[in-house]
Amino acid sequence: MLALHRTGVIGDPARDEWALLETYCTDCHNDVDRTGGISFDDVTPGSIPDHAEVFEAAIRKLRGRLMPPPGSPHPGNARIDELVAFLERTIDAAPTAHRAGHVPVQRLNRTEYAAAVEDLLAVEIDPTEILPEEIEVDGFINIAAALSVSPAFLEQYVAAARTVAALAVGTAHPKQTSASYAPPPLTITDDQDDYIDGLPPGTRGGMRFEHNFPADGEYRFTLTDLDVDLYPRSLETEHTVVILIDRNEVFREKLGGPADLKLVDRGGAPARAEIMARFADVPIAVKAGVHEVVVTFIERGRAATDELIFGFTPYGGFSYVGEQRVPRLTGNVEIVGPFAPTGLESTRSRDRIFVCRPESPDAERACAERIAARLARRAFRRPVTDDDIATLMRFYDVGSEGPGGFDEGIEHVVAAVLVSPDFLYRAIAPRGSAAADGETFALNDFELASRLSFFLWSRGPDDRLLDLAEAGRLADPAVLEAEVERMLADPRAETLVTEFALRWLDLDDLDEVDPDDALFPGFDDGLRAAFETEIELFLKSVLLEDRSVHELLTARHTFLNERLARHYGIDSVLGPQFRRVELDDPRRFGLLGKGAVLLETSYGDRTSPVLRGAWVLEKLMGTPPAPPPPNVETDLSTPAGERPKTIRARLERHRESASCNGCHGVIDPYGFALENFTVIGEWREVDREADAPIDASTILPGGTKVDGPVELREALLARPDQFVQALTEKLLMYALNRELEYFDMPQVRAIVREAARHDYRFSAIVAGVVKSDAFRMQASPRAAPGESTGQSTIAARSSATVND
Amino acid sequence: MAYLTRKHLSRRTVLRGAGVAIGLPLLDAMIPAATALAQTAAAPRLRVGFFYIPHGAIMWNTSHGPEMDRWTPSGAGESFRLSPILEPLEPFKHLVVSFSNLENKANQNSVHSLVPATWLSGVRPDTRASGAKMAQTIDQMIAERIGQETPLPSLEVASETTIQAAACSAGSGGCYYSATLSFRNATSPLPMEFNPRKVFIRLFGEGDTPEERDAIARRTQSLLDLVADRTRALQRTLGPGDRAILSEYLDTVREIERRVERAEQRDLTGIELPEAPIGELDDFDEQVKLMFDLIALSFQANLTRVASYIMVAEGTKRTYNHIGVPDAFHPLSHHANDLGRLEKLVRIQRYHVERFADFLAKLAAIPDGDGTLLDNVLFMYGSNMSNSDRHNNYPLPNILVGGACGRLRGGQHVELPEHTPLTNLLLTVLNKSGFELTSFSDSTGEIAGV
Repeated sequence: MLALHRTGVIGDPARDEWALLETYCTDCHNDVDRTGGISFDDVTPGSIPDHAEVFEAAIRKLRGRLMPPPGSPHPGNARIDELVAFLERTIDAAPTAHRAGHVPVQRLNRTEYAAAVEDLLAVEIDPTEILPEEIEVDGFINIAAALSVSPAFLEQYVAAARTVAALAVGTAHPKQTSASYAPPPLTITDDQDDYIDGLPPGTRGGMRFEHNFPADGEYRFTLTDLDVDLYPRSLETEHTVVILIDRNEVFREKLGGPADLKLVDRGGAPARAEIMARFADVPIAVKAGVHEVVVTFIERGRAATDELIFGFTPYGGFSYVGEQRVPRLTGNVEIVGPFAPTGLESTRSRDRIFVCRPESPDAERACAERIAARLARRAFRRPVTDDDIATLMRFYDVGSEGPGGFDEGIEHVVAAVLVSPDFLYRAIAPRGSAAADGETFALNDFELASRLSFFLWSRGPDDRLLDLAEAGRLADPAVLEAEVERMLADPRAETLVTEFALRWLDLDDLDEVDPDDALFPGFDDGLRAAFETEIELFLKSVLLEDRSVHELLTARHTFLNERLARHYGIDSVLGPQFRRVELDDPRRFGLLGKGAVLLETSYGDRTSPVLRGAWVLEKLMGTPPAPPPPNVETDLSTPAGERPKTIRARLERHRESASCNGCHGVIDPYGFALENFTVIGEWREVDREADAPIDASTILPGGTKVDGPVELREALLARPDQFVQALTEKLLMYALNRELEYFDMPQVRAIVREAARHDYRFSAIVAGVVKSDAFRMQASPRAAPGESTGQSTIAARSSATVND
Repeated sequence: MAYLTRKHLSRRTVLRGAGVAIGLPLLDAMIPAATALAQTAAAPRLRVGFFYIPHGAIMWNTSHGPEMDRWTPSGAGESFRLSPILEPLEPFKHLVVSFSNLENKANQNSVHSLVPATWLSGVRPDTRASGAKMAQTIDQMIAERIGQETPLPSLEVASETTIQAAACSAGSGGCYYSATLSFRNATSPLPMEFNPRKVFIRLFGEGDTPEERDAIARRTQSLLDLVADRTRALQRTLGPGDRAILSEYLDTVREIERRVERAEQRDLTGIELPEAPIGELDDFDEQVKLMFDLIALSFQANLTRVASYIMVAEGTKRTYNHIGVPDAFHPLSHHANDLGRLEKLVRIQRYHVERFADFLAKLAAIPDGDGTLLDNVLFMYGSNMSNSDRHNNYPLPNILVGGACGRLRGGQHVELPEHTPLTNLLLTVLNKSGFELTSFSDSTGEIAGV
């Protein structure tokens, strides 16, 4: 620690910026008050780099206009930006030993596990159904320190290995199993009255799913309910039910028409059962493997006799979702089998696993070794050792003694690979003297290959990356750059949307908000699903089509189907398919106009300018507000006898208290600018509860006046690097599998500066991350984890820690 | 029949069916059938449960004062009176003990982020550590003591995901302390499972016949051997910090090995299990009932003796339309002393107690030893927050319920000195569960007279 100037006369008076800090900050942050545990009394411009941790926190507060707090004297945006630039320049120019942090050994999270299983074995699994929920840090589930293990995890993990291995290898004589697939619930728009997106053209209603048929043989299909109910409206006219396997018709049967109608009219429930018996235990021969199953109706002419029942809208108890008198698939589709299995020719999984086929029993063991070696290399993400093979072959030997012989031996090998810690854990081996505290070193090629591929694909390296690593070429900057380009173009890079972007923006689970039925009768799961589809397609189109990330805020295009388009007030989009649409209304451009964002930042019964404001600050600006302090009164109630006020009016009254205004004066204005959007993202001019017009004009911290979402967006981009830096920080955190430290910030800013020269294209930011020392290096752990040696004396630790 | 009639559902079925509310027969049907499992034991076996509700309760500390207290009961014995929120417990009030003036210092000033996990630890987490760092929670201490001869030492469940943005802290700490009630040791938070299907499989395992179960156990054992061997080999290549992380992994391997052995002794012949639940239910009310049923069943069949249940997640946005409260719970809990909001919160808090009371009624109908299961349980029900509008933690609403094998003197409200540490109650629960401790965390002594 450098000696500090212990004098009241500070630094170089020529520096305006320093004078600014003196004028506006030290009223609170001095040795006497130590507000927030911080004092600047003993700092000089020269010692800024020594106190980088404190100044990085200060920079964040200044960038977010969280400081000086509302109500205190404020020098104006331009001066603050000068101070920020000065502090950043000073820190960035100072040499630092901290080029990288320490990432501990980490296990695959359940999403990565599922992706690896798909890669290795062509078996698709839903990770949420087989492994426990992962702990999130800032929304991400790939942060090494948070990936702890529990007995529940290990138990499920070992069970999953067995199950997956059995699915992957299959058996010629599997046990009969039954499976049951529920059709999607009927919703206002998805009521099976029309064509359903993803099904074959010329069909109406029904559903599709994929089923893993364990062996070649006969399977029996049962359609449990075709809406043949007490009021058999579905039987009034004749319809055709079909079952398709991989789009080939395997079953066709009529339903409805005069004969059926007569039957149920006279026969009641037994007659309905008789009709449904025609759709029970339908025998169908299927080859082993995963196949698409479609159960649907042939679309027919809508004759005048297909009366529409008008005037019925869905309501509780006796609801006619779907207005037409046609049958719908309303019960589960059950598949039981196989009956009389005849063997196991070929499946995607078997094709991937069995790289050889033993011609004779003598050749079996050698072939098994080849299979084991190939699986292990990919699964362990490194060259295979003799020891690896010997371990796996012990499992082969046990398994192959079973009735399944060679195949069963391979199944045991697959399970053994999947439970191996070499598969589950990613580690960076220590170098030299492990005791060297915080010493940094470059990752080796295999470690780099894993870091790269978990970053871009959420799974281990493919053969090409492993080959490059084995040849010692991956660390070559040109090779690395080419690989990043290749990997970004690969469909597997979609995880940058599903695992990074959606989680960064907290849009990965839209089920959290349940809009009040009484207030939003037009909302249902169909609309929620449309929000999900739109946001995912939108994020992909900007990030993976390599546009400027600014377009996340400004893009004119989006993806709509009829339902969502109507919700946004657009009537020129027809049909259930999503397609790219150029928007006319600038209020809908970019993230701030998207239903997913507006819903996620609301409560079920009202909008929340606080949640929306905090979301903008945290996600888009990277400057999260402080959490609410305990023991504060939050009286937003309407006093008895008063008319209800808008939520804005209530919040504004609350901000008359200075202690509330300190934070809410920063948070709320961003939310006010979005008040024209309802909970479910419709545009409104009037607050219905308060019967008052919406006022979306506000003054942002720092003094910028904005009115509504368009001006808010412009204000957010007035400092073009702010949003990019917010994204870059999160991307780097996601790539490194650790939370960022103050010493990472110079590298973050360097990536942003470099990306600016490439119009902030997403690929430029990704390339910057991959080239950074933080990404390519590892620091050995410090003696006492959690203790920061860079702890500055100007921050009193005891009072600064309570920030959770 | 010598084998289970449970049908197998393929993985993909589950995928498709997840979240589809279907009218399950719940597990009522199987509870009589499973009675055979609860072989009469010489000495009654204590079961311990922790039932957590977020966002406190409406007590005397709103701006309306004691008039508005809807939680605190009064009196003892004949004159013991339950409060509006606790009133559903009326049939069991002779088994209820409530406490005034409890305070937990471990989560002070943390808003939501430290509240659930510190309920049963009484220890303030180190939020500057990388990764989770707190202390073992008492449910896990008890599981170590009384849960070792059952297939599962303990069961941790929730009604919904416990990863809630409103309760996780941005930056250090993440969701470590908001997502769970249970820490297995200082650095191992345990996941709270909210998928009833996965809970079911944890309880009953896989395999339809004893032969299949044996085969699965053998394979699991040999896979665990591999895990242990290779983990040790991997450890040798790593630095000290990483070696410690893998040591924890090895601990869980040993734990599962013991479990596999115990599971082999589990005799499920003659039991007709219903089909496994298909997944998380859309209908919250049904989901809560199902989780309680699974806990009841696991106690009855002696599959576990310790359960921890987050009935609703900290910071949830869940609405309660089924009881006429369309507001999201967390924002509503910022009641701002508004009488309408307070009334709605009371309704929600009472609803939780109703579900809990249903569960008690079910246990009261299950024979166990010489009496019923309810005679042999010790439950702690409550919250680790007081006034949700202010996120404070004094006084905490907590009660003990159950016959506790004769170790709990029910039917009373205990007036404690002001600012009595919650850890005094935790210490009391520990000692009633077989410990003989004189102190726990910042406790000042066991609670007398209960």
